[in-house]
Amino acid sequence: MIEIKKLHKNFGDLQVLKGVDLTLKPGEVVSILGGSGSGKSTMIRCINGLEGITSGSIFVDGFDVSNKKELLEVRKKCSTVFQQFDLYPHLSVLENITLAPVYVLSSSKKDAEAIALDLLDSVGLADKKDVFPAQLSGGQKQRVGICRALAMRPDYLLLDEVTSSLDPEMTAEVLDILKKLAREGITMISVTHEIEFAREISDRIVFLDQGRILSDLPKDEFFAGDGGLADPRIARFLSKMGEFNGQA
Amino acid sequence: MGYGDEGFTIYDLLLWAEGLGITLWIFILSTVIGLVLGVLIGLVRYYHITILGKLLMIVSESLKNSPVIVQLFLVYFGIPALLQIDMTPNMAAVITLSGNTAAFVAVIVISSIESIDRRQLEAARSFALPKLVILRHIIFPQSLSIAMPMLVSLAINQLQVTSLVSVIGVIDLTRVGDIVNQRTFEPFIVWPLIGLTYFILAKLIAIVGMRLERKFSAYRLVGEL
Amino acid sequence: MLDLASITEYVPAFLDGFIITAEVSILSILGSFILGILIALMRVSSNRFLNYTSLVYVDLFRNIPFIVLIFFGYYGLPEIGVYMDAFWTGCLVLSIAVGAYVGETIRAGILSVEKGILEAARSFGFSKFQIYAKIILPIALTISVRPLGSVFINLILTTSILSSITLNELTGVSKVIASTTFRPFEVYVFLVIFYGLLTFMISALISLWHRHLNRYLGEEAS
Repeated sequence: MIEIKKLHKNFGDLQVLKGVDLTLKPGEVVSILGGSGSGKSTMIRCINGLEGITSGSIFVDGFDVSNKKELLEVRKKCSTVFQQFDLYPHLSVLENITLAPVYVLSSSKKDAEAIALDLLDSVGLADKKDVFPAQLSGGQKQRVGICRALAMRPDYLLLDEVTSSLDPEMTAEVLDILKKLAREGITMISVTHEIEFAREISDRIVFLDQGRILSDLPKDEFFAGDGGLADPRIARFLSKMGEFNGQA
Repeated sequence: MGYGDEGFTIYDLLLWAEGLGITLWIFILSTVIGLVLGVLIGLVRYYHITILGKLLMIVSESLKNSPVIVQLFLVYFGIPALLQIDMTPNMAAVITLSGNTAAFVAVIVISSIESIDRRQLEAARSFALPKLVILRHIIFPQSLSIAMPMLVSLAINQLQVTSLVSVIGVIDLTRVGDIVNQRTFEPFIVWPLIGLTYFILAKLIAIVGMRLERKFSAYRLVGEL
Repeated sequence: MLDLASITEYVPAFLDGFIITAEVSILSILGSFILGILIALMRVSSNRFLNYTSLVYVDLFRNIPFIVLIFFGYYGLPEIGVYMDAFWTGCLVLSIAVGAYVGETIRAGILSVEKGILEAARSFGFSKFQIYAKIILPIALTISVRPLGSVFINLILTTSILSSITLNELTGVSKVIASTTFRPFEVYVFLVIFYGLLTFMISALISLWHRHLNRYLGEEAS
């Protein structure tokens, strides 16, 4: 279980998160929507300690993120897929995936490679195992990014705008994989602006606005006219994103 | 031209070989020591170990911004006078050139680490990879690739700098040239030959350097194919 | 430590040395700059002979130690009937050797001038000479102020090697002072600091100048 309580995060004078409370149960898929500057990416970066928190608390299965030793456990439980992929450019696809299992989980190289190959196979990239990231398309890079995260056998998968650097065709190939994962019952927090995707995979939708949670509703209620959509700010956001998606 | 005008002998060739050996020995020794020291200094400064880092910065800036010849005099004449110790010319040469190389290596180390994309370091941290693993498997190979061209031109430059040790009496290639020139009065034969020797050595370093560069930057070149 | 009276005793000699260092530096900077522009133009010219000659020039003088060149000049020139003292030999050899570095630096500047600017100039009917004199070189030199600055700072440090052909510039006089005072450590530490401050001040000035010249390029230049 991920428990976020009264989370505040400031960058200098700028208050990015102003008291966020959120609980994520095992098996749940939660999408976080919100405009740019709403603090949604910052929130996900706080969960795995890439940003220190200003006040409040985050616990992952009882481990405190702001405690240096416990953060290590948190990071073993949560794997992140990044917006810009952030693969290690000097390592082959296979090495990108096996690095953390070998050095963090102390898997044998052989086991790690077997798992990595299985994962690559499941995203259709088994033939790319020996190439460098520079030789892949954006969509392929992100699929490798997903394999890298899954190779850690995480309890929680954190998705930080994983499709916003991709064109529509590549977006589709990445989303298909994530949908499959969601069906398999993995716990996910996904920061995204892909409304349709959120609607398809999520159990719950959280709407962030200016550092605060505006609504936290089961998916069906969120999209219902008397639920989330009753709030004009959400309606405006959805219609804007709808247009955006339509054009793209 | 009287006494000095004796022409070349087979011993001049031996002397040349000996000078070449000394030049190479000083070059290799000071390059290896300078590399190790320079990487250590670079890491100390990169990880902001404050007081030590500042002190090292002052020393390495002075080494980069003063003539090597003066540094050689300081080590060969100054330090023995201050500490009342003995120092051979060869010792002074290796100490000075190692320090000088280290100063430049440190700058290269820092600038190449800083040119690595910060986000992949974050990604690595998010997977709970320990600092040392990140240093060894992610920072080191990439900065090595970025640093390689700079290190190669530094090495070619430092080869030339070794010629200065002749002024404190090391019998290196340049000093051998001086000795033979004084005896034979044939500057138009002696100095071009000495110059050619250095030129060939520099080309050899450049060739080895290019191989290394290619080897370590395979991952960056594939994207351009 | 030296007492104050004995320090002042050596100030005039030190200043004399400094003046010689300054004179050699300024003359050689001028000489190498002129040579360097020639070399750079030859390097980018389409004439194969000029191109190859300049390439050999640059390759040779960048890969042979300066002290070998200066010994060659100092002992070799009289053999062919050219009698120059250490001062002028120093200026000549420094200009020739550093000219190779200046040439490569300016060449890099020339190559970074955008093709579009050249095509625009050609479309207005400027002659080749005019294009180089009025457009390419000014832009290339402006871009190259900072790298040229480090080449010239290196030149200033290299003048110290002239002490080995008996020129009493800064390093030469310091050697004399060190051996007469029996205080080599103090003298050479002072000299290291002196050269350090000198190059620091010069490079600060160059940075300012560079920023001033490139101010129209906006952020990326500074």
